[in-house]
Amino acid sequence: MINIVKRYLPTTLFLASSLLISFATHADGRIKGTGGVSSVSGAGGGGLIPWATLTSLATEEQRGLTGFATYIDLNDFTLDVLGGAVNFNDRVEISYARQNFTIKANDAEITQDKFGLKVRVAGDLLYGKMPQLALGIERNRLRDPDIARAVGAKDDNGTDLYLSAARAWIDGVFHRTSMLNINLRYSQANQYGLLGYGGDDQDIRLQVEIAAAMFLTRSIAFGAEYRQKPDNLSALQEDKAADVFVAWFPNKHISVTGAYVMLGKIAGAQQQNGFYLSIQGAL
Amino acid sequence: MLTKCSFSNNLLAFTLTLFLTNCSGIRSQENLYEALGGEVALERIADNFILEIANDDRVIGYFEDTNVERFRQFFIEHMCMLTDGPCEYTGDTLVDTHVGMNITEAAFNAIVEDLMAAMNKADIVIGTQNRLLARMAELREQIIQM
Repeated sequence: MINIVKRYLPTTLFLASSLLISFATHADGRIKGTGGVSSVSGAGGGGLIPWATLTSLATEEQRGLTGFATYIDLNDFTLDVLGGAVNFNDRVEISYARQNFTIKANDAEITQDKFGLKVRVAGDLLYGKMPQLALGIERNRLRDPDIARAVGAKDDNGTDLYLSAARAWIDGVFHRTSMLNINLRYSQANQYGLLGYGGDDQDIRLQVEIAAAMFLTRSIAFGAEYRQKPDNLSALQEDKAADVFVAWFPNKHISVTGAYVMLGKIAGAQQQNGFYLSIQGAL
Repeated sequence: MLTKCSFSNNLLAFTLTLFLTNCSGIRSQENLYEALGGEVALERIADNFILEIANDDRVIGYFEDTNVERFRQFFIEHMCMLTDGPCEYTGDTLVDTHVGMNITEAAFNAIVEDLMAAMNKADIVIGTQNRLLARMAELREQIIQM
């Protein structure tokens, strides 16, 4: 019980304080679905990668808040994530996520904190000539660094930087509203940081991430994501990640996302595929 | 491993192809006015749209001084022109009509949602709705926050 309280306290506090910040505002000014969902890092996005869109449906005269829970069930591991994000005037997004990674074979856990800041620097997802451009920073810290050290990671904390561009075409593929997002990321993270940062076989630090989505109806979107990852540890090969997803937006305040994720080799275990379920609430 | 990676890469290639072919404009283009259903459909959309606005607290304030009959006529004419129909728009420019109203991003989007609802109630299919909405979205700069 104490453990549960300790584990979720920061998230709860973050959500509570965020709630106070944006309580008086009514953040539903954007078109449903254009706020995307919550990524595993807490930042507004897709699922495995953040997108240039800022969380919630807040416009420039509003502030918005999202909270989410995500569960991924892989062959040999599970990942549960809890977090939230605040959007100030559709300009600045601050996010937090607590990731708990469990090794099924021995119930060993790795816990990581992720703090994010994303700034929309130009353009708009839907309107005008310029795609929406955002700059993001993710500050990550392992609470359980032992496993990362054991596999040869250099650090138990790290910082990722990314430049993100997103564009939606209202009358897109097959006359359905369609979106493309491309990120360029600077990162030394091993398996999203769960296995630490850097290593004895330092890989190139720039990675590309791509997402495409299409709204079948005003409430149902589907798409795919692809994420390059560095491969810094000589002992453990790291692969690219990909997913296919369906997101349901029954209204402007709730979304449910289901996905099939393909994460490749993780910590020596082959072919880590599995199901992903995420629920987001937005104010 | 090899199978997984090649699946990822195929997915990526497929997605990019889909977008690139789409953006290069290879698609069937029936006249939009006809696709919507002509004058009868535009009148139904306009009537639904006026009802949606009347019941929308987010935007009704902007229409306090609006002459509904006039609005209806010019809205239909404008939609007709925008969809390549056989009409001439006789109203003022969009800039003249909206200047001084200080329409916010949120209010603009609320109107878009009201129009979507109006088109749903007129049984316009989503693909046709999107063709119209895309043309209207290009007019946004002439409408908001002036």
